[in-house]
Amino acid sequence: MTPAHHPGEAWLMDYALGNLDQPFEAVLRAHVGVCASCRDTIAFAERLGGEIVHALPGRPVAFDARAICDHHEQETPRPQAVSRAHGIAVTDDIERCVETYLDSSLDALPWRGVGQGLRLCRLGEQAGARTWLLRGKPGTVLPHHTHAGSELTLVLKGAYFCGDRIYRAGDIEDADESTAHQPVITRDGECICLAVTEGRLRFRDLLPRLVQPLLGI
Amino acid sequence: MLSHRHRPPSPVPDADTRDDRVVDLAADSAARERARETAWLERVRDHGDRDAYERLFAAFTPRLTAWIGAQGLDGASAEAVVQDVMITAWTRARLFDAAKASARTWMYTLARNRMIDHHRAGERRARAHDGYATLLPAEDEAVDTPEQGLTRARIAALLEQLPAEQRQVLLLVYVEGRSHREIAQELELPIGTVKSRARLAFNRLRKLLEDPAP
Ligand SMILES: [Zn+2]
Repeated sequence: MTPAHHPGEAWLMDYALGNLDQPFEAVLRAHVGVCASCRDTIAFAERLGGEIVHALPGRPVAFDARAICDHHEQETPRPQAVSRAHGIAVTDDIERCVETYLDSSLDALPWRGVGQGLRLCRLGEQAGARTWLLRGKPGTVLPHHTHAGSELTLVLKGAYFCGDRIYRAGDIEDADESTAHQPVITRDGECICLAVTEGRLRFRDLLPRLVQPLLGI
Repeated sequence: MLSHRHRPPSPVPDADTRDDRVVDLAADSAARERARETAWLERVRDHGDRDAYERLFAAFTPRLTAWIGAQGLDGASAEAVVQDVMITAWTRARLFDAAKASARTWMYTLARNRMIDHHRAGERRARAHDGYATLLPAEDEAVDTPEQGLTRARIAALLEQLPAEQRQVLLLVYVEGRSHREIAQELELPIGTVKSRARLAFNRLRKLLEDPAP
């Protein structure tokens, strides 16, 4: 799998540094697991971290090297990656990946039909970001909306169009308050996405605005 | 931190080319320093070499302590974290693979992992910051050797090539451990603006560090 759409560098730097809250971290981890290009970017972000730390003027410390050598034995640890780029399970089956993460098959989840060929499943909310799964029939047109904050959408299965772009399994759509979009699921098959959204969506049309409080989107 | 103060005197009098020459000289020296650090860590890994460990220790503990302090930990906690990292570097040196990362990157990732495991982003963020500039020690407290000063000049020169607003975003992310969303809130900028500054700064440095100019 070679994804065509990636999270911006700002997300990957935050990921590499561990600066993110869990919902965004989780959706990025799933993409990074299938994306060699983002793993390279993260490896460079770590290298840059080492260089920037090296550019800081040092501060003296009150402990010394000899004491560490005297009091600690060297070990033969099990191989274990220290890099966040190398430490990710790489698999091409992103649907399976997410099922493992949720400890449930996608079909067994409590889906809620919201009409127009669309089903939603809310997975939780943390630090102001909601994680949900979205599942639509072929050709489904989602309501036109803008965002009050950041949104990352990972395609698990199928594909959707957004303007002239097509997002396929493994791709991330990186949206924020400057993005207005109306995703349209391709006619080839059903589409399942994992989305993390911060702030309420802002719908252009009246009908979705009316049902929005019921759905918690 | 990112001043001209640590640059060595120019080997050539021509003011127009001076900065570039100093950067080239420092690039050479930085590459040598990086290779030496990696050789020390390999000696620790392969032979339990205490001398090599002491050199590694002298090169990394002061910088890592400064960095962790800038992330909002007080002096004692920062020192405890660095002590832990340095113990790991000794006891688990066999995890080091020079084909995957330099010693400098590896030491940094050890410290970062320790911060992620024990000081989650939310907790770090909750601590008061005075800004990365004021958290750094005064120059006369710094404990660098002259050659370390030269490496610093090289990184500082690279960072200085960035427009100020890009450099600011990069340092807030790297030195203070802020997410780009937090930076947008703090600087009252649209998220898209912060993302594009981060992208430009990151890709510029990636180009400069991955394929240095001839
Ligand atoms: Zn990617």
